[in-house]
Amino acid sequence: MSVTEPTPLETARWAARAGLRLPAERHAEVAAAAHRILSVVSVLRDLDFGDLPPAPARPTAQEERDAAV
Amino acid sequence: MQPYELSLSAAADAIRARELSPVELTDSVLERAGQVEPRLRAYATVTAERARRAALEAEREIAASRYRGPLHGIPMGLKDLIDVAGVATSAGSRVRAGHRAESDSTVAARLSAAGAVLVGKTHTHEFAYGLTTPQTGNAWDAGRVAGGSSGGSAVAVAAGSATFALGTDTGGSIRVPAALNGVVGLKPTYGLVPRHGVTPLSWSLDHVGPITRTVEDAATVLTSLAGYDPRDPASLDLPAVDYRPAGGTDLTGLRVGIPRTYYFERVDPGVEAAVRRAVDRLRDLGADLVDVEIPMTRYVQATQWGLMVPEATAYHQETLRTVPGLYQADVRVLLEAGELMPAGDYLRARRARVLMRREWARALQKADVIAAPTVPVTAVQAGQETITWADGTEEGVADAYVRLSAPANIAGVPSLSVPVGQDAAGLPIGMQLLGRPFGEKALLRVGHAYQRTQPPPALAPAA
Repeated sequence: MSVTEPTPLETARWAARAGLRLPAERHAEVAAAAHRILSVVSVLRDLDFGDLPPAPARPTAQEERDAAV
Repeated sequence: MQPYELSLSAAADAIRARELSPVELTDSVLERAGQVEPRLRAYATVTAERARRAALEAEREIAASRYRGPLHGIPMGLKDLIDVAGVATSAGSRVRAGHRAESDSTVAARLSAAGAVLVGKTHTHEFAYGLTTPQTGNAWDAGRVAGGSSGGSAVAVAAGSATFALGTDTGGSIRVPAALNGVVGLKPTYGLVPRHGVTPLSWSLDHVGPITRTVEDAATVLTSLAGYDPRDPASLDLPAVDYRPAGGTDLTGLRVGIPRTYYFERVDPGVEAAVRRAVDRLRDLGADLVDVEIPMTRYVQATQWGLMVPEATAYHQETLRTVPGLYQADVRVLLEAGELMPAGDYLRARRARVLMRREWARALQKADVIAAPTVPVTAVQAGQETITWADGTEEGVADAYVRLSAPANIAGVPSLSVPVGQDAAGLPIGMQLLGRPFGEKALLRVGHAYQRTQPPPALAPAA
């Protein structure tokens, strides 16, 4: 899936929404970096997760049991 | 042979037999640091006086028959993300100017209790967010990258200015510099070694582990580090294990998985040849070689970035707003861009991680360990930004170095990097052995058996 590069103005708005004020001279550089990151991560939209919950912070109970054997 | 050249195990044997005193060893390592530091710059801080005091105390304890074990009196470096009470944890960053850790991290406390002697804090790529450690030169060629982010730790061990060291690993930051400097690096299973008191990069991917000259040494250090600490939410309460491998080299019946996909793609021919030669040695020792399919390779980078980028940005939330100009340019822009990642992407990465763990567990049913290159290419020249592969594709240096090591962080499985020779330019090559969760003993057994078929590890020749 292709991701459109955020414009410098969009970058400033999105950052501000997250509580980060970006000086104007940083908008283009951050936009390019964000575009690259979001493009890489967008591949995950191709996965079918079904009802799968996100990974917990700790290893799973199964892994703990395996380790104890 | 000078004391600084000894492996941890050899030094420990000599100390236990009272053929070598911790003071002699520490003085030798400090003198070595004085020789090589101007060129290699492995250390952010050398705590020489503290080291001499600790060595003297160790000497007195051992003389009084209070020997604590194989780390007693052994000089070590700790990556400058690891808190030691009273010492700055500068994290390679001006953001931490004036910092002073109030208490020991769990790993520093455990090593101190085992009698290890702190030589100093080793350089890290700023906040561990990078793969080169630009402050430090490679121990084999100071004009080349040390690798990162635990570059200082790997260079100190390779050059003889630490007998062992600790690093941290979020996508390869122990194993990459270990491979590029010809030393051993172990990223343990997620949850095995507590991270309390270690500056995080990404909570769900961070690990702490040893960098040593031999596999046996890595096992000795891991034995002291592993164990539950409730202050790390990922830490697991498991029975204590002695990870030190037995002496034998017989691998009869052990299944070594050889990846059919991913790990040998876009890999320098010299690196591939060295790893395949090492695999042949494992077969000679009795191992059965079996083909394995590496699962979900298309999603490795996406999952790694989807977890790491927003978590790193979250950790730096406050200072990114108050002192953004104190970050290095490469780290600042990643932290800022991380503010733009939607929660949906982060959740997809966390769900992808579950799938990847499952699929890796399935793949590891077919093999006891998987053998693969640690990094696809040896140390590049400092300042080089991209690698052009034979198929004409171009890849960023950091992306290339992390590509083969990141799957173990996502899957949470242990991975051990072992030196397996040099390329045509004489630069070291690493092979990684990947295993099942909490399967460190199998990795260490195989790595140790391989090393016993090779000449004893020596310091980097150019250091």
